Amino acid sequence: MRKLFKFLKKFRDFLLFFVLQIFVLGLFFNSKNYHKAQLFNTSSELIGWFVEKKHNITKHFSLADENKKLSEENAGLLDMLPESFYQLQGDLWYINDKLYKQQYERISAEVINSTTNNRDNYFTLNKGAAGGIKKGMGVTSKDGLIGFVTDVSDYCAIVKTILSEDINIPVKLKKNDEHWLLKWDGFTDEIAQVNGVNRDIDIVVGDTIITRGGNGMFPVGVPVGIVSELISKDGKQTWDVNIKLSVNFSGVYHVYVINNLFQEEQAALEARITADE
Amino acid sequence: MNNTWLKYGLNFILIVLIQGLVVNNLNIDEFLNPMVYPMLILMLPFELSLIASLIISFLLGISVDGFSNTFGLHASAAMLIGYLRPTVLRYIKPRDGYDSSLLPSIQDMGIPWFLGYSSLFLLIHHAWFFTFEILRFDLILLILAKTFFSLIFSLLLIILFQFIFYKASKK
Repeated sequence: MRKLFKFLKKFRDFLLFFVLQIFVLGLFFNSKNYHKAQLFNTSSELIGWFVEKKHNITKHFSLADENKKLSEENAGLLDMLPESFYQLQGDLWYINDKLYKQQYERISAEVINSTTNNRDNYFTLNKGAAGGIKKGMGVTSKDGLIGFVTDVSDYCAIVKTILSEDINIPVKLKKNDEHWLLKWDGFTDEIAQVNGVNRDIDIVVGDTIITRGGNGMFPVGVPVGIVSELISKDGKQTWDVNIKLSVNFSGVYHVYVINNLFQEEQAALEARITADE
Repeated sequence: MNNTWLKYGLNFILIVLIQGLVVNNLNIDEFLNPMVYPMLILMLPFELSLIASLIISFLLGISVDGFSNTFGLHASAAMLIGYLRPTVLRYIKPRDGYDSSLLPSIQDMGIPWFLGYSSLFLLIHHAWFFTFEILRFDLILLILAKTFFSLIFSLLLIILFQFIFYKASKK
């Protein structure tokens, strides 16, 4: 009888262990799919408060660098203002014309927490739903592609960076518009991959890779990186391409969250195709 | 009694904040992903019941998960060592049992015992963590390298924290 009780107690312990393991591993594998609900991350209110406090202390260490980068960027943008151009001919453009309509607007935000060493790497931003950020918006920095928003609270947001498994963002070659999906193999935060590139495509080391804008998260032409290596595997008819990323992921501070004003229209249109099938 | 649990509660909060806000931000190299929070599980009293150890590991892991955006992976690894610890401790028990006034710390049990004890559990913890994080057979060398280098770094940090946080128990 006593032996039976002892066995039952052991079994109860194991059962608790087993059930909790199933629970947490279930959470973990569910998190690979950003459409599903995610518990416990740095956008939650309590943890976000701590992360924000830490950021308030540590942000001062990098301010000098960041200010320099911002002023360089400002200088570049000022160069593009109409006042910076000398007009060669008379008035040829009108400010309020019907040719252009704004499609993308950017919300600036600061990265207050980040990882680069995990298999899936996330940034935490200091703005959330109250700042106009929604799930699924793309995120870039001035150097290039960062990732997209996977979860928001009122005052924080979580960004899944392109340093993640199955990130699958559509990218293309700048010079001839060949397009693929971006991958990351998990090794170093400087190199991402594109697999299955046909060998008859004109691609060489040094070519520029940009976003394709296919899923509406990003405009066309956000820089992704530069082709750094073409790898051929025995028995395969395709290249695997290594891309040197243009963003230095361990030093990102200011980012832009991209709001596509036509997103709903595009989604509604594409939903009509699938409904027809 | 109350005092002890209060102390453990404060330790819990402190170690979660240290792991979440300081150690997680030491982005030194992709092979170095140190974790110091298993120290709290390792420092639980010798004779603590398995259920209590399991529940503490679960809470600790899920809190660290919140800070590192790993959604349950830390909790899984922490629970594994929380589950194995009482059993392993029973196997390596000295002949006359554990002195209930002592903790499994460097100061109480000596450096060689502590090194063996903590590196065993950290090895289990890290191997489990990185295996599930990467989960690919062809990257097994990456899993091993991450486990090995992070283990050494974690061990160094834990030994350092031992000297900062724990004093020798009164005999």
